[in-house]
Formats: sequence, C-alpha cells, structure tokens
Amino acid sequence: MYWLRRGWAELKNEVFVLPSRTAVLAWALALLVLPYVYGDPYVLRIVTLTCLFAIFAASWDLLAGYTGQVNFGHALFFGAGAYASALVSLNFGVTPWVTVWIGALVATAFGVVVGYLCQRLRGSYLSLATLAFPLIALGLLFAFPDFSGGELGVSGLRRLATTVTANYYVAVLAMLAVVFGLWLIADSKFGLVLHAIRDDEVAARASGINTPRYKLAVFAVSAFAAGLAGALFAHYIRVAGPSTLETALSFQVVIWGIFGGAATIYGPVAAVFILYPLTEWLANFRAIGELRLLIFAVIVLLVLLFMPRGLSPWVRDRIETACPRCKQRNRAWRSACRLCGAPLENRGRSAISEKLKSP
Amino acid sequence: MMRSFLMAVALAAASTAQAQGTIKFAILGPMAFVQGENHWAGAEMARDEINKAGGIAVGGKKMQVELIRADTNEVQSVPDATNATERVISRDKADFLIGGFRSEAVLAMQEIAMDSKKIFLGAGAADARLGENVEKNYDRYKYWFRVTPTKSPDLFRSLVAILGSIGDQMRQALKKEQPAVAIVAEKTAWTEPIMKALQATLPKMKMEVVGTWQPSAVATDVTAELSAIERAGADIVFTVISGPVGISLGRQMGERNMKAVAFGINVEAQKDEFWAATAGKGNFVSTLDTYSEVEITPKTVPFVRAFKERYKKAPTYTAATYDAIMMLKAAIEQAGTTDADKLVPVLEKMEHVGTAAVASWDKRHDLIWAVGKTAGIGVQWQDGKKVPFWPPEVKGMQPFKMPAR
Repeated sequence: MYWLRRGWAELKNEVFVLPSRTAVLAWALALLVLPYVYGDPYVLRIVTLTCLFAIFAASWDLLAGYTGQVNFGHALFFGAGAYASALVSLNFGVTPWVTVWIGALVATAFGVVVGYLCQRLRGSYLSLATLAFPLIALGLLFAFPDFSGGELGVSGLRRLATTVTANYYVAVLAMLAVVFGLWLIADSKFGLVLHAIRDDEVAARASGINTPRYKLAVFAVSAFAAGLAGALFAHYIRVAGPSTLETALSFQVVIWGIFGGAATIYGPVAAVFILYPLTEWLANFRAIGELRLLIFAVIVLLVLLFMPRGLSPWVRDRIETACPRCKQRNRAWRSACRLCGAPLENRGRSAISEKLKSP
Repeated sequence: MMRSFLMAVALAAASTAQAQGTIKFAILGPMAFVQGENHWAGAEMARDEINKAGGIAVGGKKMQVELIRADTNEVQSVPDATNATERVISRDKADFLIGGFRSEAVLAMQEIAMDSKKIFLGAGAADARLGENVEKNYDRYKYWFRVTPTKSPDLFRSLVAILGSIGDQMRQALKKEQPAVAIVAEKTAWTEPIMKALQATLPKMKMEVVGTWQPSAVATDVTAELSAIERAGADIVFTVISGPVGISLGRQMGERNMKAVAFGINVEAQKDEFWAATAGKGNFVSTLDTYSEVEITPKTVPFVRAFKERYKKAPTYTAATYDAIMMLKAAIEQAGTTDADKLVPVLEKMEHVGTAAVASWDKRHDLIWAVGKTAGIGVQWQDGKKVPFWPPEVKGMQPFKMPAR
C-alpha cells in the first residue's frame, strides 16, 4: 500500500505536472497495450522496426547531440552488432538471447577503436573520418565472403521469439529500457560533462575533466546501444547483410536526430516514431507511394526550416515554459511557478527560447 | 443524406461481392526501377489475358485475377521490402506472392512469406541460397519456387556455353587454336566469384586468359583498359558488368574499331536504349539475355510482340511475372483449389511452357537448367538491332558476327 501511495505521489508530482512527461507516459503505455487493442501483424511489424531504429537514433544523439561528436558513420556500430550476433548464433548455435549481447559488446569494441582513432579530430574532420569506417567494414566483408556471406550477408538466423506479439514486446521493452537508460545517463553528472565537452572542450579540459576518457566512454556507450539495436534487427528480419552498414543508414540516423531535436534523447526517438511509420504509410498510396522518399525529404526540410532546433524542442516550448527564477519547467498555461511561485510572464512560449532569439 | 448512406452501403456490398470472386496476386518489386516496372508490366499482361478469357477456374467457379502492386524499394532498403511483404500478406490478404529482385532483400522476404505459408514465386533474384533453404528445411520453405532467372551457378553455365560457341567460331575464322580472352568485370562484390570461376574454367575450354581488368561500375572512360586489352591481343572481351560502364565499354570499343568482340553479362546492352546510348558505336556487343523475338517456346514471340506494342519497349527478364501467374493458373485449375499445401505438389510435378522458359523444378525448387529451355539466350547488337544468336538450334536465331579484320 505504501509503495502504491508513493508511486501515485511520484506520478502526480513528477509526471503529471508536465505535459511532455505525461505524453511520454501515455506513449509508453500505448505501446505496451497496442497488441491487445490492435493486433494487426503489419502494424506490429512497423512498430517493432520503429522501436529498433529508435534505439539506434537515441544512441546517435548521445554521441552527436550531447557530446558534439557528430558521427556520419554510425551504421558501423549497427552493422557490427548485427553481423557479430548473426555469425556467433549461426556458426556456434548459440541462442540469440545471448548473441545479441555479444553483438552489442563487439559494437562497443568498435566504438572504442573509432573513438580512439578519432580522438584528436573535431567538427567536420571528425564527421568525415567516421564516415569512412563503415565503408572500410563493407570492403572487409566483401573481401572475405566465405566468412561474411559477401554481398548477401548472413541469412537464416533464429528469431528471439516465435510469435509476432512476442517479438514486438522484445523490441518495445528493449527500446524503453535503452532509451530510458540513455536519458538517465544524459541527465546525470556524466551527461553534464558531455555538454561541457560539446560546448567548449578546451574549457572542460582546463577545468580538470579528462575529456579523452569521457569521449571514449561515450563512444563505447553509444556503440553498445547501436550494436544492440543492430543485433535485435538482424534476428528480427533473420538476415544480417551489407545494408546494415550502408551510408544511407548512417545519414538516416542523422536526419532522425536533427529532425527530432539533437541533445534531447527523446527527440530522435519521436522523429523515428513519426517519420518511419509515415513513409511506410505513404507507401500504401499507389499515386504517391513511389514518391515517398521525396515527400519525406520535403517534410524534413520544412520542419528544419521552421523549427531549426528540431520538432520536439519546438513542441515542448509551446506546451511548457521555464521559470525565470528557478529554471524549472511548468505547464505553459500556469501563471506562477509550481515550485518557487515566481510569476511566469512568457506564457505559451519558453523564456529560454525567447532569450535565444534575442540578439 | 440517407440516399448517400444507402448508396455507400450498396457500393460496399458490391465491392465485397466482387472481392469474393478474385484471386489476389501480390507483385513485389522495386517499382521505381526498370526491374519493378517489368515485374508489374508482365503481371498486367497475364491479368488482362486471364480476365478477358473469363478468369481462373477453381472447382467449377471462375475467379478473376486481382493484382496488388507492392513497391518493395528493396534496392534502397531491405526493411522496406520486408514491410511490403508483410503488408500484402496481412493487410491486402494476398493469396500468392510474385517478384523480388535484390537477393539480400528476397532472403528476408522469403522468411515472411514462409511464416505465413504463402506460395512465393521468385522472379528476379539469382542467389542459390534461396533454393538451398528448400532443401535444408523442406517443410518450412516448400512454398518458394524460382521462376526467373536460373540460380547464379546456372547463369554461369549459360555464359560458358555461349562462350564455347563463340570460341569455336573464332577458332575457325582466325585459324587460332586458343582464342585469347580478356576479362572485364566491374569492381563490385558480385563479380568476384564469376571472375574466379572464369579464370579456372577458360583454360579448360582451351582459351587463354590474357588479363583481368576491373573498372568502376560507373566509369565513363575505359580507354586505359581497352588499350591494355588491345596490346594483350585479346580476341574476346568477356564482360561481367551491370552498371553504366557497359555503355562506355561498348561505345569506346566501337570508336577504337577494336577487332575483339565483347560478350558476357552487360545489363545495359540488354536494354533497347543501348544503341542510342553508345551513339551507334556499340556494334557487335553481345550479352546473355532472356527475351527476344525467337521461339524459345511457342509463346515467346507473341508475348514479346504484345509487350512491345503495349509498353513500347522490349521486356526484361523480370517480366516473367507473366509466366509466374500463368503457372499458378495452371496449377490452381489442376488442383481445383488455391490452398498452398495442395498446390505445392502440383507445381513440383509441373512442366510449364512459358514465355521465357520451359520450366520444371528440382528438389530445391530451382529451375532445371537446360539449353533451349531455361538457359536463356545470347543476343548481339548488329547495326542498331539486338539480334538473338544462341542457342543456334532455336528457330529465329541469326548468325553471330565478328568485326572485319
């Protein structure tokens, strides 16, 4: 009874006080009940893949959004996880429940290597260097086709679960756990250091922060999450092929990250949940279905034109406002801060965003 | 208001009644690409022909063919291809699946079709692994059948057979015991096993390999490679090319008046636009192909002519979706049902005379390779026309020509 009361109090005081948190809770609950409400296998498949790509997008955001290490070759970690899990599972007959973790660990090793090699690079030089790594990996896969399956990849993989619904829950639970974990990391002291590195690495080092170690750590954590997504993806579609390392996938994750709002974790997740089902839905219309990639590009361009910080910060600024005194967030329609009682002057628009806009 | 409501109800009832009388064939392909266009065009031809004749007889009842167009976007995205497959099965309630092109994607699409126990006739991917799955786990993968092309090792057999025929002609014309062959393979992964196999096979065919050149698949200039090939004294340029470099090679061989003749796989040379793309310089370029106005079967010429008349261009190999639908029609009418488990044994025993091949299947549900039946044809560009020349015993074949020396 005590825990129930405490749980309700937490919900009331920490979640329901802000529309964004309420929306996230509603979204998570909707995902959990979806198979009972609408068990269409096609819809469950789309949401399953959306969840896996959401993990991938959130992992990119931790690295690029929070730490400023804009990775143009993030598919390397996705593909490394997919191939490692697939090859171990197929060649040694190990259950995918074990090999997905092996895939994630192999991706982590790749993350450490890439992070180490790119430690002295910044900005566009870093991005261009990271772009090369998945291309090198593809070259190696094609050079050893007996090992990697060449351009067809590794097929005939075992699924994690046998039914559509069970596979769906694997993906949803993995996504909720990983995204929440990444959000906790980003919201912790560790995340603050990452912010500092992104904003001014020299100042961060001058403050005594061992920035190379933090950057290596964030490369490893990000690669672990991306690798886990890749491994889950491979066992879901039962093929780990070169498409998991393609440049198009690396750019796709950048688009998701920027569209949703970088340095938020939830922003890229929201972007995947909007854009991936949207492009799939457009495919249902014969007249425009084959133009869906063009439509996708136009939507992304329009959003970035009118919402330069991304979709989720834009929406959040319209439904919540920050207290000018204690900086805590409040519902946009409140007249006084819920914590310190200071009057909220900029109702309906964030004071922070106003400040950012002013010269 | 009430009248609109009643009309809507009546229309809905009518469409349901119509849907009950149809068999749904999902055509899966990259519809923004030429392969997908041909998948769809071939299927449209079959649908219109069957429906015009009254439909497919299923247990004494005539049912119309309904096509579902599914853009798999598989050239760009494997997940998109799997989503399209799931959509046609669970949303559109397709009875049969036909198509596919990119082998990596088709392997994933095959899994979804087999999960739902849907018959899936492959009409685009060549990888042998698709058939190996049937042999390894028959109960799960028995619903997969390959309609076109033959599996990749059999494509190689066709190439070698045609090359042998060209080699014999060369020996007689040049009075040379060992014709010299230069291998030109674009620098992509799929060409590697073919190159290795060629290097091992050609000496056994009493042909000398004078070298291997690997330009980029999108190279616009192959002067350096062709100069080296000329210096090496090659009589045959064996091409393993799917990209636009096939046009550059054909054009520049013509510009240089090369005495060597090009043969192999050249996907650009299979297209009607090749002659114009090479500015009329692509004379003597030859390639393995599927369709031409020759009697591979009695149905080939009428189909190719009707296709050209309707779509204003010749069909490519993925247009054999026509054959796939016709095979299923024959099997359904023989079995008197659309039940997949009952159709599989019927298809396994069938020998279907289609437009692209005379098809019968082995235990992997791969096409049984045979010259004049499923091995394809050799075509050569001669003065602006794509002329079929192999296998010579097929009616309508014309002589293979070589540049004057």
